[in-house]
Amino acid sequence: MESAHLKAFADAEEMEISFGPQHPSTHGVLRLMVKVDGERILDVKPIIGYLHRGTEKLFERETYNGCIPHTDRMDYTAAVTNNQGLVGAVEKLMGITIPPRAAYLRMILAELQRLASHLVWLATHALDIGAQTPYFYCFEERDKILDLFEEYCGARLTTNCMRVGGMPFELTAGWTDRCRAFIDQFPAKVADWERILTKNRIWRERTVGVGVISAADAIEWGLTGPPLRGSGVRWDIRKVFPYDRYDEVEFDIPIGTNGDTYDRYLVRMEEMRQSVRIIRQCLERLPEGPVMAKVPKVIKPPKGEVYFSVEAPKGELGYYLVSEGGDTPYRLHVRPACFINLQALPEMVRGQLVADLVAVIGTLDIVLGEIDR
Amino acid sequence: MSWWDKLVAFIPLELVQGLGVTGKYLFRKKVTVQYPEQRLEPKDRFRGMFGFSEERCIVCHNCAKACPIDIIHITDHFEESVVDGKKRKKKVLDRYDIDLKRCMFCGLCEEACPTKPVAIWLTTKTYETAAYERNERLYLDKVRLQTWDGVLPFPGVKAPAEGGMPEDPKAEKKAAGGEGA
Amino acid sequence: MPEPLMTYLVIPLVKIVVILLVLILGAAYLTFFERKILAYIQIRLGPNRVGPKGWLQAIADALKLFVKEDLTPARSEKFVFLLAPVLIIVPALLVFAVIPFGPSDIWRLTDINVALLFVLGVSSVGIYGIILGGWSSNNKYSLMGGLRSAAQLISYEVPMGFAVVTVVVMAGSLSLVRIVEVQRELGVWFFLPGIVALFVYFVCGVAETNRNPFDLPEAESELVGGFHTEYSGMKWAFFFLGEYANMIVISAMATVLFFGGWLPPFPNLLEPLWTSSALAWVPPPFWFLLKVAAFIFLYMWFRGTFPRYRFDQLMRLGWKVLLPVSLANLMVVALGVLMLGERS
Repeated sequence: MESAHLKAFADAEEMEISFGPQHPSTHGVLRLMVKVDGERILDVKPIIGYLHRGTEKLFERETYNGCIPHTDRMDYTAAVTNNQGLVGAVEKLMGITIPPRAAYLRMILAELQRLASHLVWLATHALDIGAQTPYFYCFEERDKILDLFEEYCGARLTTNCMRVGGMPFELTAGWTDRCRAFIDQFPAKVADWERILTKNRIWRERTVGVGVISAADAIEWGLTGPPLRGSGVRWDIRKVFPYDRYDEVEFDIPIGTNGDTYDRYLVRMEEMRQSVRIIRQCLERLPEGPVMAKVPKVIKPPKGEVYFSVEAPKGELGYYLVSEGGDTPYRLHVRPACFINLQALPEMVRGQLVADLVAVIGTLDIVLGEIDR
Repeated sequence: MSWWDKLVAFIPLELVQGLGVTGKYLFRKKVTVQYPEQRLEPKDRFRGMFGFSEERCIVCHNCAKACPIDIIHITDHFEESVVDGKKRKKKVLDRYDIDLKRCMFCGLCEEACPTKPVAIWLTTKTYETAAYERNERLYLDKVRLQTWDGVLPFPGVKAPAEGGMPEDPKAEKKAAGGEGA
Repeated sequence: MPEPLMTYLVIPLVKIVVILLVLILGAAYLTFFERKILAYIQIRLGPNRVGPKGWLQAIADALKLFVKEDLTPARSEKFVFLLAPVLIIVPALLVFAVIPFGPSDIWRLTDINVALLFVLGVSSVGIYGIILGGWSSNNKYSLMGGLRSAAQLISYEVPMGFAVVTVVVMAGSLSLVRIVEVQRELGVWFFLPGIVALFVYFVCGVAETNRNPFDLPEAESELVGGFHTEYSGMKWAFFFLGEYANMIVISAMATVLFFGGWLPPFPNLLEPLWTSSALAWVPPPFWFLLKVAAFIFLYMWFRGTFPRYRFDQLMRLGWKVLLPVSLANLMVVALGVLMLGERS
């Protein structure tokens, strides 16, 4: 029996590795069953659900404003854009137009959040590929953004900083100056990180041609956000279905050509610069006025259903809201960007090496809080 | 690409450039905060430990209703008293408990509070609420919410019972106006 | 005490003890310096709590590893599992038998005429520790780490050998003492004529010690802990010490082969300065250690900057770039030596 066991072991050409859920580079509690031949990946099967908290079910018993703190905890690196999507959906159903100042504030906060989220992505992505130092540089900058959040709404990570109908707070005195000071010094930092990584031959070898997905495939898989744009599809919710006041600011949508990890890296780096550009314009144009529209004390959207999506840092974050006219949603479904982007992972890594797997997980920029909800 | 360009590209100049960046940061001022000795002061709006004032509370239950995870438990009863010869019914607070261990510090209770100044607030800058026994230490009744018994306040912050309450915006305005006049 | 006993037993024993102590302590403290340097590159402060300015951190780490539970996985190959850490640390320490720290006999343990061969031979045994450790753990991640290191060993031993041969051609000797002496006599250190060899040697050295950017056998983000995933306590400490001792070996060898060993820097330009009364008392090992420290700093700087190669890219770099380059360089250097005539 022993020898039969040994023989089976010796004859086996495939090895199955359980990658995670406590693996250092699965960005949370993702578990991957990886079938490898030596170091070459034959197949990958993601297993999710370790962080499931039943958020969508929880929504059904919350008032609309009470849902907002729960959305903070979905994509916990981008709480602001999560809030933005939810309040946008409710406002769309109720037909509320928020005051211009509130819209601009939302844009500023959302773009700051995009920076913060991309900083976490760059930090962990570089760490996975073995460059540990950018991690700390990114987190230094991210801390400055979180300081701005803390000053505005009192929390750094789970911001809960939007309400149906506008924004709960007025800016504190001097906030815009501090924000401007931050974005003025930020592009130089991006340039520094690019000097470490962009032309670095090791970085290029690790990312160019790794995790390739063609534009057609990317669309078929329903990818959104940087993974889609890296493949060369110019698709950005902020441009195609502008919400808030994104139609009033100028910015470009960076796209890649090859759809590989390196292109997605370049896309995100450029997106950071574009976000800075948007924030600068918003700060210049920030109108005076109220930050809250007139909304009833108890929010009861009319009976009906609505889909509203925002361009979250990870991709399209959509909320599908069904209201029965009560003060709680009948059903509030979330279209998470990460969950759908993750589905393309097996396609992207099949036939590549184990080392590429972590690079591709990093480049998809997944957050398990949003995948499992 | 000529062979000369290829040869030049072979020399790892960009690696040296990367070393230059990290070398530059080697001599930069460090950003570490030595935590127990140094502390960053939370911003004014920072949502931390609860403060509660029983005298301000009008027992309207708005905070409990606003709480997304129902961790504020309130019970009350009516007490009749005679004021100016008229019978008045007054709500009296029996129990005001906050299950801090489940709290997600969203601040919706503070926003829902109708009194001015608010009777429940999180802007206490106090965040060191870790405890060895969470069921006991992190379940705050109305007395502990005011005395902060067993809570480590942020340096310089007083417990609500000792007067560490948010100012009345009207009183402040009045005081400022009084000085002006 | 009879004279032979003194020369052949007592003095060497004392030297061995001193070298081992200094080496192990040095390796332990390298972990501290590495953490400090990495921290400073990463705009943080690093360990500064244990003892004044954190200087006792290395001791605290060592103590912790001593008292930590030593786990052996149930289905591992027990004997090999035990053997692997020994295999990695012993060769690393053994190399120091022939490394000359100074010009006279007190500053070295021994001077054998094939010292360089000895170093190459002994230090390549160390890699078996990694392979066996990875295999015997009975863990898939460890196994992959071990396999990667086997591939790495084969790819990098060869160009490294050629880089070293370049020096041998220039010096005309395999004795490390003689190599330094030649550099002194010529007044030129071998890194100038052998700049390519130095580059190849150092890249291979980084790869041989499994350090960033070639740290794939223990690539944390891919293989959790690589070959030492299952190790804990003192066995793990041996792997750790072995890695740092190997770093010292590679740096010391680079110093001896290319940077004039114990000679003070810029011997031609600053000759009067080094022989002046102010600096003449500086013992030669000081210069040696200074140069070694510079190399080790480079190691840490690399770790703070570069991403990690993938294992097929590492092989390609070894076979397709470093090997031809080192071969061509060897030919050029040999030709140069031939043209310039016999070394005096």
